[in-house]
Amino acid sequence: MQRLLQIFVIFKEYVILTLLIAISLILLFNNDTPQIRAIRSYTVGFVGLMQDMLSLVPNVIELKRENEVLRALNVNLTDEVSRLREARLENLRLRGMLEMKPHNEYKVLPAEVVGKSLHLLRNTLTINAGESDGVRADMPIISDEGLVGKIIVVSGHYAVVQMVINKDFRSSAKVQRSRVDGILTWDGGDVLHLRNVAKKQDVKTGDVVTTSEYSNIFPADIKIGVVSNVTEQTGTLFKDIDIIPSVDFASLEEVFIVTALPDTERTSVERRAAVGK
Amino acid sequence: MGQQIKYLFITALLILIQTQAMRLLSLEGMTPDILTIWVVYIAIRHGHPTGTIWGFIIGLAFDLVTGNFIGLSALTKTICGFIAGYFYNENKEVIILRSYRFIVIVLSVSFIQNVVYFLIFTQGTNIGMTRAIFEFGLVTTLYTAIISLIPMFIFSRKTSR
Repeated sequence: MQRLLQIFVIFKEYVILTLLIAISLILLFNNDTPQIRAIRSYTVGFVGLMQDMLSLVPNVIELKRENEVLRALNVNLTDEVSRLREARLENLRLRGMLEMKPHNEYKVLPAEVVGKSLHLLRNTLTINAGESDGVRADMPIISDEGLVGKIIVVSGHYAVVQMVINKDFRSSAKVQRSRVDGILTWDGGDVLHLRNVAKKQDVKTGDVVTTSEYSNIFPADIKIGVVSNVTEQTGTLFKDIDIIPSVDFASLEEVFIVTALPDTERTSVERRAAVGK
Repeated sequence: MGQQIKYLFITALLILIQTQAMRLLSLEGMTPDILTIWVVYIAIRHGHPTGTIWGFIIGLAFDLVTGNFIGLSALTKTICGFIAGYFYNENKEVIILRSYRFIVIVLSVSFIQNVVYFLIFTQGTNIGMTRAIFEFGLVTTLYTAIISLIPMFIFSRKTSR
């Protein structure tokens, strides 16, 4: 025992280093366990509360700018609403004629952004709505500009949103004009990418990209952004498609939670098909 | 004990600044890592074991606050504290902290830390190893080193009085 203690004293730097690296690796490889999720949930609650308190300090310049933007937006939206109303009536009439099922209408819950973690590749938001408001993990988050992300961690009164500009984010998406679909990803930088789109598919610069019907998490037709660049590289079967996101993530202050959860029946049947049962 | 509480308080304050204010200094999505500078400072002042332990505490606290991969910052900041501990010299700590040597230490420690960080961080993405190291790692390292001029000047002025 004495000898062991002596060894520890001589090599204490290395013993401490090894021990702490081991703890870090254990934590790293157990990120999805219920215990770690519970710890995250508690810290989200605490950090959210702190960020909420800090957000009470008003930013007058930002408020003035936001007010001007909202006024301009209001004029455009009023015009668009009247045109959409007409289009909806026409759509309902045509759907009735074709006996097609209407799209699911989803309910939204407003929430304020109380914290942002906009650094490097795992960008997240903290919002002031949690389990007590009916918020659950995997619920989609949108803003008036388009798709923001999805909920990944929830506490009693707060939730953390995995933003579209997060390297772990994936969603099926489609080009609105040509109905070409692909997988939406982000690898850092200012643009998003639409992957798995074959070279022969019709995608042009300026095309609007939205969420597609193939996603079990996100409702279809939520705007994601606009195609800014399409390149065809040699040696691959797919196009390289860059998308400028429609949401200005840096100035995001209010978001809406789409209170719809993934269809469990669909998830279950897809999983069974994947394992060949 | 008093010093540990002081360090805890400073750590909490720096995490708050890192998560809330550093995005104002963001260049192409890259932000300086002031927590690395803080870990290097502690390691230079107190040596290997203290630097390593504080590196772990600061990294873990940052992981918890940001909700990121829990354990990743803890791992890299532990390594950061350990490496910076090599530059500990009981009689020369003030000279190191107020000179360009502090910047060189931050630069080298931050680079090693960022290489480890981004190699793990970019797993499962289309981001290649070269891009991870040179685009993300190197930019963050250089940016952090530039920001470390501020504490160096503060310390230099404080000790020259």
